Amino acid sequence: MAKARKSRGESMLVRYLVLGGWAAVCLLPILWFLSIGFRPRTEVITPQPIYWPTFSLDAWHLLMSDWPIAQYLRNSVIAVAGSVVIDLVLAIPAAYALARYEFKGREDIGFYILSTRMMAPAIVAVPIFFLFKTLGLLDSVWALMLIYAAINLSLVTWIIRSYMLDIPKELEDAARTDGAGDLTILREIIVPACLPGIITAAVIAAIFAINEFLFTLLIASTSNAYTMSVALANFTGGSDGIIYNAIALVSFIAFVPILILVILIQKHLSRGLTMGAVKG
Amino acid sequence: MASIHLQNIEKRYGGFVGVQNMSLEIADEEFLVLLGPSGCGKTTTMRMIAGLELPTGGKIVIGGEEMTEIDARDRDVAMVFQGYALYPNMSIYENIRFPLRMRGVPASEHDARIRQAADMVELGGFLDRKPGALSGGQRQRAALARAVVRQPQVFLMDEPLSNLDAKLRQSMRVQIKHMQRQLKVTTVYVTHDQIEAMTLADRIVIMNKGAIQQVGTPDQIYSDPANTFVAGFIGSPPMNLIEGTAQNGTFVAPGVTAPCPEYVRGKVTLGVRPEDCHVGGDNVQGMVYGVEPTGDTTYLTVLAGTKKIEVKAAREYRSDIDVPVAIHFDPAHLYFFGEDGQRIRGAA
Ligand SMILES: Nc1ncnc2c1ncn2[C@@H]1O[C@H](COP(=O)(O)OP(=O)(O)OP(=O)(O)O)[C@@H](O)[C@H]1O
Ligand SMILES: [Mg+2]
Repeated sequence: MAKARKSRGESMLVRYLVLGGWAAVCLLPILWFLSIGFRPRTEVITPQPIYWPTFSLDAWHLLMSDWPIAQYLRNSVIAVAGSVVIDLVLAIPAAYALARYEFKGREDIGFYILSTRMMAPAIVAVPIFFLFKTLGLLDSVWALMLIYAAINLSLVTWIIRSYMLDIPKELEDAARTDGAGDLTILREIIVPACLPGIITAAVIAAIFAINEFLFTLLIASTSNAYTMSVALANFTGGSDGIIYNAIALVSFIAFVPILILVILIQKHLSRGLTMGAVKG
Repeated sequence: MASIHLQNIEKRYGGFVGVQNMSLEIADEEFLVLLGPSGCGKTTTMRMIAGLELPTGGKIVIGGEEMTEIDARDRDVAMVFQGYALYPNMSIYENIRFPLRMRGVPASEHDARIRQAADMVELGGFLDRKPGALSGGQRQRAALARAVVRQPQVFLMDEPLSNLDAKLRQSMRVQIKHMQRQLKVTTVYVTHDQIEAMTLADRIVIMNKGAIQQVGTPDQIYSDPANTFVAGFIGSPPMNLIEGTAQNGTFVAPGVTAPCPEYVRGKVTLGVRPEDCHVGGDNVQGMVYGVEPTGDTTYLTVLAGTKKIEVKAAREYRSDIDVPVAIHFDPAHLYFFGEDGQRIRGAA
């Protein structure tokens, strides 16, 4: 007994060592960014490595005074959040229809929707540019919102549908005999039962939208519509050459919302779906 | 408060026939029990009555109105599902309340009715819990409460007590019957449990392989089986079915002879219930195969030829195995079935 416990303790130790090592490797670039972002410009490019840099808020002050970061963040948040809302409003009923209604070509439509995601985005870049130009929506966050929504709609639909397929059909049968109509069933039974799936899909869509680059670059031309992702790429630090510590800091700031989203999704990914709904 | 007429309904799944050519008249206020082996189409029949499954043929009339293609929500039917189907995100209280909300029952009545239904199934203390935090039996009772909280035209109950212990099952059984008599709601009830069927039913429908075998009162089903399936399905232990030949008023099988009516001839099956077999006499010459005392009675298994015959013997009957034993039948309670399994009845 004592021996078994000891070897179990040892194996836990090995596990933590391996996982801890791996986590350190993954986190190192992020810590590296932080370390560069908060040191003075003179300590960024040196022939000798500096192990204990001076702490400095130079880059931070520079950013705050020179760079409309609040505007970019605002654009990102509006475009991303709006696109996720659009996606959910469209995808939830669509997913329900694809999961439950019997109609001809159901599987084909499901696959077709997913297949739009497989296309290389560059193919539609030019048509999209002209489309939004004609609509007078160039350099606008609303255009970005629509584009992000379109890009993610198929994936969101697909994820939600797969969660809905796992909901026992008897639940809907019960609701129907209890007197509920389709919309009530969707709202009161289906959506709550696949809420973890909906949250997962929303977070994934948000992450993709935050990182979207190609179409944002195409549509946005000024800080009217620049989001963090494009602003970041265009950012060199200002008029006095490339300012690496400011770049590092901006990158880190851009990374924080995604980190928060990932932490959110983790909690929901592991949750049981339909616990207690059926027998057994 | 509705009669149900099933007219030649049928349900096919591709080439497979789940329910075939089923016709049944269920009277207003009747308590009808569907009984049959697993997979015989009981649930399918219920789902068609509820409107959750469209029959591939035939007509369904509820309360005088043709309902065959009417959606489930527009039939005034309450169902207890075999798999409970509780709404996982709602508390038990909200689960039971759901049909009241959907059917437009005034909100002021909800609380009292919910508590009444919950008390009936002895779940009063669990109303705040989510279904996930209940045991199987508690979930089943919650499902029952959700069905009986309103007064529909028809109750459909698909094995509503299957997961309860013997004591609770007995008390629920009495409650269900009492409630049904009180509310006077036409009820179709599915069970595997013969005692449940016998005690609850006004009439029992025995099904096998999607087809009705016999419809009758519990007494009729027990004492006047229509075929070997019903005879072998009802009773525990069920009726002995002995294959043999009959001529000139005598039935003969290895180790068995018995009187039979003149009109029974050729290859036939003799049916006799264990309680109509008695130790002694001259109908069976066999060997004792096993003796099972159950407390209030003793079951004796006799090997006659290669056939095992169950006998309900006196409580104190004991015997070693492999000793010769003689059995006689109560001549008034012998049943004869033809080669097709159907009962052979006198000229009528
Ligand atoms: N959707 C379906 N597709 C194909 N076959 C089906 C379907 N639903 C039921 N069946 C078949 O129809 C037959 C009757 O099923 P049903 O559920 O009515 O049985 P049951 O009498 O309720 O059995 P149990 O006592 O086990 O609940 C079964 O053989 C089953 O396999
Ligand atoms: Mg069933």
